[in-house]
Amino acid sequence: MKENQPGSLRAVIVDDEELARAILREYLSARSDIEIVAECANGFAAVKAISELKPDLLLLDVQMPKLNGFEVLELIEPGPAVIFTTAYDQYALRAFEVHAVDYLLKPFSAERLGRALDLAGQRLAQAENMPVADLVQDVRRHNKPLERILIRDGPKVHVIPAEKIDYFEAQDDYVSIKTGGKGHLKQETLANLEDLLDQGRFIRIHRSYILNIERLARLELYAKDSRVAILLDGTRLPVSRSGYARLKPLL
Amino acid sequence: MHPILADRDRLLLYLTAWLPIAGLLTGLFVFVGQLDWGEAILVALPLTMVYAFLCLSAWYLCKAFPLGKTGMLRLFGIHAVAAIISSSLWTVMGRGLALALSAFPAFAATDGHFRVQTPLLMGVGILLFILAVVGHYLLGMIESSREAERHVLEMKVLAREAELRALRAQIDPHFLFNSLNSISALTAIDPAASRTMCQLLADFLRKSLDLGIRDCIPLDEEFALASSYLTIEQVRLGSRLKVSKEIDEASRSCLVPPLLLQPLMENAIHHGIAHLIDGGEIRIAAARPGERLSIVVENPCDPDRPRGNGGGIGLANVRGRLDTIYGSDAWLEVESGQDRFRVLVSLPAREQGHYERKPAGQS
Repeated sequence: MKENQPGSLRAVIVDDEELARAILREYLSARSDIEIVAECANGFAAVKAISELKPDLLLLDVQMPKLNGFEVLELIEPGPAVIFTTAYDQYALRAFEVHAVDYLLKPFSAERLGRALDLAGQRLAQAENMPVADLVQDVRRHNKPLERILIRDGPKVHVIPAEKIDYFEAQDDYVSIKTGGKGHLKQETLANLEDLLDQGRFIRIHRSYILNIERLARLELYAKDSRVAILLDGTRLPVSRSGYARLKPLL
Repeated sequence: MHPILADRDRLLLYLTAWLPIAGLLTGLFVFVGQLDWGEAILVALPLTMVYAFLCLSAWYLCKAFPLGKTGMLRLFGIHAVAAIISSSLWTVMGRGLALALSAFPAFAATDGHFRVQTPLLMGVGILLFILAVVGHYLLGMIESSREAERHVLEMKVLAREAELRALRAQIDPHFLFNSLNSISALTAIDPAASRTMCQLLADFLRKSLDLGIRDCIPLDEEFALASSYLTIEQVRLGSRLKVSKEIDEASRSCLVPPLLLQPLMENAIHHGIAHLIDGGEIRIAAARPGERLSIVVENPCDPDRPRGNGGGIGLANVRGRLDTIYGSDAWLEVESGQDRFRVLVSLPAREQGHYERKPAGQS
């Protein structure tokens, strides 16, 4: 992952507050082994910058507009060492679950940041391959039930609030997320989503479909033991026998 | 000390209550016995008054043997014996009085008339004493139920005070940490600004501590506090935070619980402005239509924001406080739109002089 000159770490600062970025800039300027390659004021910009610049190190705030720090991690390729910087202590556990190198509470001293950077350097030197794919699952378990779905579309990020989703459709290794007639593809399994979503609202009606029951207009008997769900916008989705069993108590 | 003896008015009332008994006794002496009116009055009146005092002794007995804790039979025996003793005492006194009267030539026959009445007097004495016992027990019961009522009331007041204390707005500590971080950053970039920020922060903390211990403050002071809070947040958030105010002059002097609006300001930033890349404007308005005071705090918000976390606690606290202080006379309305969030607080418009009836928690 490290293609730049040896000894120097390429860092991206992500914080929505100008002054918070300023203090990191100041502290880092005293270190010759760190090079700031980007500063981002929100999660969207961070995802874009990180995927383009592939930095070694992230200095990441938690609470930011659009995407929080954890959501940024969910959307980027694994690799960079992460140091969280926040005024809130309640995310510390989650931060270490996603294998953050360190968790700095604002305001922190240059020395404290220095220790975190040294630790990050060691971590990267060991070329420890962090199992981020599993981690992301871990993070998301803490987010249950999923309130919004994040989709990366090249450098762009879509945030779809769960209540705006009509249904999910399985498509090979992907899931198509249907909302207001549009579809977004996300690499994900339907079983995984079923587990993460609000079980009172999203029902697995078929091997290939999860339905937001608020979009359901009516059910029709199609053949023996097979029904079809008709949505408010007229879309017809198959309902399997076990899907009907799950749906029935909610009707 | 007996509660009746302790108070002159009560004693007078008590003795007055005995006057009809004196009348009845006189009647008994005249119609059942052979005393004439003059003799009867002269004997019955002092005798009744003396017995009135004697009967007060039942109070000590009732205290010593409370109902429910003493066996019924035992209670009965004790009071019967006491009644016989006091009635005997009374009869002897009556006899003494009659004898003394006989010394006067005009009442020479009194003792002779009276002697025949002794069993009657004895009976009346026992009856009156037992009545006194019953009366004292009733008095005790009324007193203890009143005591219980007062206790319940006291508990209620205490609970309300505790509730108010719990709901009292507290400054979000993260606000302090973030502000300190801003100061830390400014010391290197702009020392003068960092000094200003220290002063702003000290000013805000001092105000919030001062106001926090008061029970109600003019809306003007509450807004001054909100202003210093927002000024500090403006240093942190920069151009992302804008504030507009439309404050009706007549509303400025209205009294509100201190720090009532603080959670609304914090929410507007935490759940509104902080989620917007370009920020937005917090609109604060206050008006005084008639006898009401209405305050509006409105902020833009991200339509894709994660919902249902946090914010609710602050609003629930404000609601709880309004409810505890004003009951159904104040309310909070929330309008949560796609990209705007609006809170309306409506409460009775009260001013300093108008506030004789203090809200609970300050007696």
